[in-house]
Amino acid sequence: MNNLRNFCIIAHIDHGKSTLADRILELTGMVRKTSMDQMLDSMDLERERGITIKAKSVRIPYKAGDGGEYILNLIDTPGHVDFNYEVSRSLMACEGAVLLVDATQGVEAQTIANANLALDAGLKIIPAINKIDLPGAMVDDCCLQLYSMLGLSIEDILLVSAKDGTGVIELLEAVVARVPPPSGSADTPLKCLIFDSFYDAYRGVIPHLRIFTGSLKAGDKILIKSTEKIYEVEEVGYFSLGLAQCPMLQAGEVGYAVALIRNAGEIHVGDTVVSSDHPEELAIPGFRMAQSMVYCGVYPIVTSEYGKLGAALEKFKLNDSSIVFEKENSAALGYGYRMGFLGMLHMEIALERLRREYEQDIIATMPSVIYKVFCKNGDILMLDNPSKFPPEGNIGHIEEPIIRTRIIVPSAHIGPCMELADAKRGTLVGIEHPDDRRAILIYDLPLADMITDFYDRLKSVSRGYASMDYELNGYRVGDLVKVDIIVNNGIVDALSYIAPKEGATARGRALIHKLSKTIPKHLFKIPLQAAIGAQVIAREDIFPMRKDVLAKCYGGDITRKRKLLEKQKEGKKKMKMVGFVEVPQEAFLSLMKIED
Amino acid sequence: MQGLYVHIPFCVRKCYYCDFYSEGGKLHLLDDYLKALLTEAEQYRGLTFDTLYIGGGTPSILGAAALEQMMRGLSGCLGLSDLEEATIEANPDTASSEFLRAAAASGISRLSIGVQSLNDDELTRSGRLHNATQALKAIDMASGCGFDDISADIIVGLPGQTTKSLENTLCSLSHSAVTHISAYCLSIEQGTEFARHPPSGLTTDEEQAELFELAARYLKENGFVHYEISNFALPGRECRHNLNYWRGGEYLGLGPGAASHLRGRRFKNAPDLQKYIVGPLADECESETLDVESKLAEEAMLRLRLLEEGLDIAELEERYGRNNVGRLLARLTKLTDAGMLVREGKRYRLPPAMVMVSNRVFTEIIN
Ligand SMILES: Nc1nc2c(ncn2[C@@H]2O[C@H](COP(=O)(O)OP(=O)(O)OP(=O)(O)O)[C@@H](O)[C@H]2O)c(=O)[nH]1
Ligand code: SF4
Ligand SMILES: [Mg+2]
Repeated sequence: MNNLRNFCIIAHIDHGKSTLADRILELTGMVRKTSMDQMLDSMDLERERGITIKAKSVRIPYKAGDGGEYILNLIDTPGHVDFNYEVSRSLMACEGAVLLVDATQGVEAQTIANANLALDAGLKIIPAINKIDLPGAMVDDCCLQLYSMLGLSIEDILLVSAKDGTGVIELLEAVVARVPPPSGSADTPLKCLIFDSFYDAYRGVIPHLRIFTGSLKAGDKILIKSTEKIYEVEEVGYFSLGLAQCPMLQAGEVGYAVALIRNAGEIHVGDTVVSSDHPEELAIPGFRMAQSMVYCGVYPIVTSEYGKLGAALEKFKLNDSSIVFEKENSAALGYGYRMGFLGMLHMEIALERLRREYEQDIIATMPSVIYKVFCKNGDILMLDNPSKFPPEGNIGHIEEPIIRTRIIVPSAHIGPCMELADAKRGTLVGIEHPDDRRAILIYDLPLADMITDFYDRLKSVSRGYASMDYELNGYRVGDLVKVDIIVNNGIVDALSYIAPKEGATARGRALIHKLSKTIPKHLFKIPLQAAIGAQVIAREDIFPMRKDVLAKCYGGDITRKRKLLEKQKEGKKKMKMVGFVEVPQEAFLSLMKIED
Repeated sequence: MQGLYVHIPFCVRKCYYCDFYSEGGKLHLLDDYLKALLTEAEQYRGLTFDTLYIGGGTPSILGAAALEQMMRGLSGCLGLSDLEEATIEANPDTASSEFLRAAAASGISRLSIGVQSLNDDELTRSGRLHNATQALKAIDMASGCGFDDISADIIVGLPGQTTKSLENTLCSLSHSAVTHISAYCLSIEQGTEFARHPPSGLTTDEEQAELFELAARYLKENGFVHYEISNFALPGRECRHNLNYWRGGEYLGLGPGAASHLRGRRFKNAPDLQKYIVGPLADECESETLDVESKLAEEAMLRLRLLEEGLDIAELEERYGRNNVGRLLARLTKLTDAGMLVREGKRYRLPPAMVMVSNRVFTEIIN
């Protein structure tokens, strides 16, 4: 076990983690020459978007410079703040972390956030500056930032280019030398933590395990602490470039187990697994629960497929333990689920995965945060769904969630960033100057404003240089109103939203306008209205469709004509019937897309 | 009823809106093409047909000699002696009196002329190679050569078109020897010049709908029957070859890009002139045999295009069996309840208000 090194690669988004993993796989002979870039980003969505979404581990045999044979267990993690739950779970399976910094960007918000997560988890940090091959590399600046902003010593910093491989062997040597081998004895009773899992149609739930003590092999009986359920292990193995079966997993190792766990709901990420011979072993503290930031309703397009959606969510939760969901129903959409996500990107990715990997035809409603509603009768309600708000007259006041954000920005762009934060109802809490070129702006900001488009706008006003990190920071009274959207004379509860009273009319108008462009024309006129209580603040009509006729009959090419009609019909199937109106997915997201 | 369609995939130059399969400026391949065409026809030796439609492309580009040669060749292997109707398409710039006489002499009884508009500005902007005077002259000549059935194609929504100019076009046509008018709405199709360089002066959907309705009204007032979504005819002058398409009938299509429906199978030749010349028989690019349910839906959709005749469900039940028609009937009933169809006994029709939005109805009918 002394030759084992468990480490992860952490960094701000796009600083080169997955590319570094490519080089490590090549230089250690795991793969000959990576056939594609970022080969660990194996999910379609990861490849399409060029970002890592799921953390992935690989076990790599490595012969070090001192002649010793080592086993490295590398975990590539995502950098985007919305996936940082993946990072915090990965840390539990590691003793060390390589902290990458893009030499052209310097230390950014998630560099700090992820480094702090790793430090809190007691990991050894190996700082490395990446992309030194680029002409714009500012190695000295980055070193100073790592020192001033994270207190890391400059002599510990390595220089690498994940692209051309420079410094990667030195980095592996540093991992071997500096990361401690896992502690924990193989001779004591079994104790391991489920840090991830997935569902296999033939073999059931397959948990990913970090073994802290003891050992695990086929035939062993295991007990899940949270449910007290007992299973017999059929197979154990580790992660190579796929699953690799092996005779036994031991203390310190990371691997998987197949134990015929049939139902998705029987196991949770964060559960402790012990031997059924030693049920008295205590549970490992596990993970803090992921803190949902944004909620939306998710409904099957075909109302009767509600049960199938529930089953799919159970399975999905195994692979994305940061989602939460519970049943809800909507007058307009029928039965569905309210889901919670860590941010808008997470929401977008999770819904897309549900559609693609779990083959669910779904529609998602307008996203919302959790409001605290103080009723006149003294009740305090926590509501993540505007349609569940009590009538206006019963509400005393409303509080909304606030985040504290730390925006790291080069001095030259401070002005526009502050203007943006002010426009988004932010309150300046403080400004720090870690060095003479950069500032950290600390703002308290309503979460609702942050999730719409704050991050994108911040990037654009700072020409890409600002980055931010945030955490929830309590609730604040807001001058808020509920806005209802009325489509074809009926309120569509799934489109209701909460907005600051100031500017509500302008926003309502913009939204109605946007809706009038996203809901397709029908054969009849569709009036669209936005209303606060009984007062209509915006109105527009979608005029009836006047022409929908294929130009020509294409001679005798009836097949072509039928195929065009079938395509048109497919498009309709992606829409949800609300009363007599077909509403496409984009309509429910239009509030997010309004420019103020 | 069995039709024969012969495709002439040549044009002098592509019109800016056109996405029919045809090649501009490849006339040197004409001889090779006719040879290949006869090779394909030979495969069907012995089949007899009730209607013939020579379309394009620009069939009038053949000229008198090539047309006569082609007709002789086709008649040599296919049964064309009892044709009820034989149509050829012609463009005003290539329809010479010599060609028209040759066509008449070859047994062709009906002429379909690509007029498109009688406004010179609209014609130029759409890349047409003739003007209004030439078009009217072609109609006169055709009539002089003994063609009783003359059809004109027009396009609604051409760049620059106004209610006034459309009315002028319709007025001149209805005072000419024309007995049939096909009116298509302009749509910008992928791969066309208009798609590459969108023209100015395009009409909105609303304007196009109004123009079309104006045309339909005008033609009705002048004695034309709106018998199919895009087609108008003086009583008794409907195009029988096309009626056969809309009644779900069978036909053979010869030439690249031509579609066929024979013995329950729909298939299509690849739209590729060069390949066709090399191997006219190895060219099939799509083929399908529909199950009863799809076949029924397809026929319903086609027949509903016939605004007067409509869809006779009793007749469908007779041919397909009552049980099989059940699900279609349920859909038709739903559409009727929603006002999207009208029913008279066992006959369903597309009401006038739905003509411009017929795809809405058809998407509900196909399964
Ligand atoms: N020039 C240069 N480009 C690099 C280097 N390392 C990574 N890149 C590029 O930086 C971009 C981001 O690289 P990734 O490896 O996907 O970054 P990541 O940190 O895994 O990103 P996330 O997983 O989404 O957080 C890609 O275009 C890489 O080609 C390097 O050393 N030099
Ligand atoms: S519209 Fe007729 S003449 Fe013009 S390119 Fe098309 S087929 Fe040829
Ligand atoms: Mg990555």
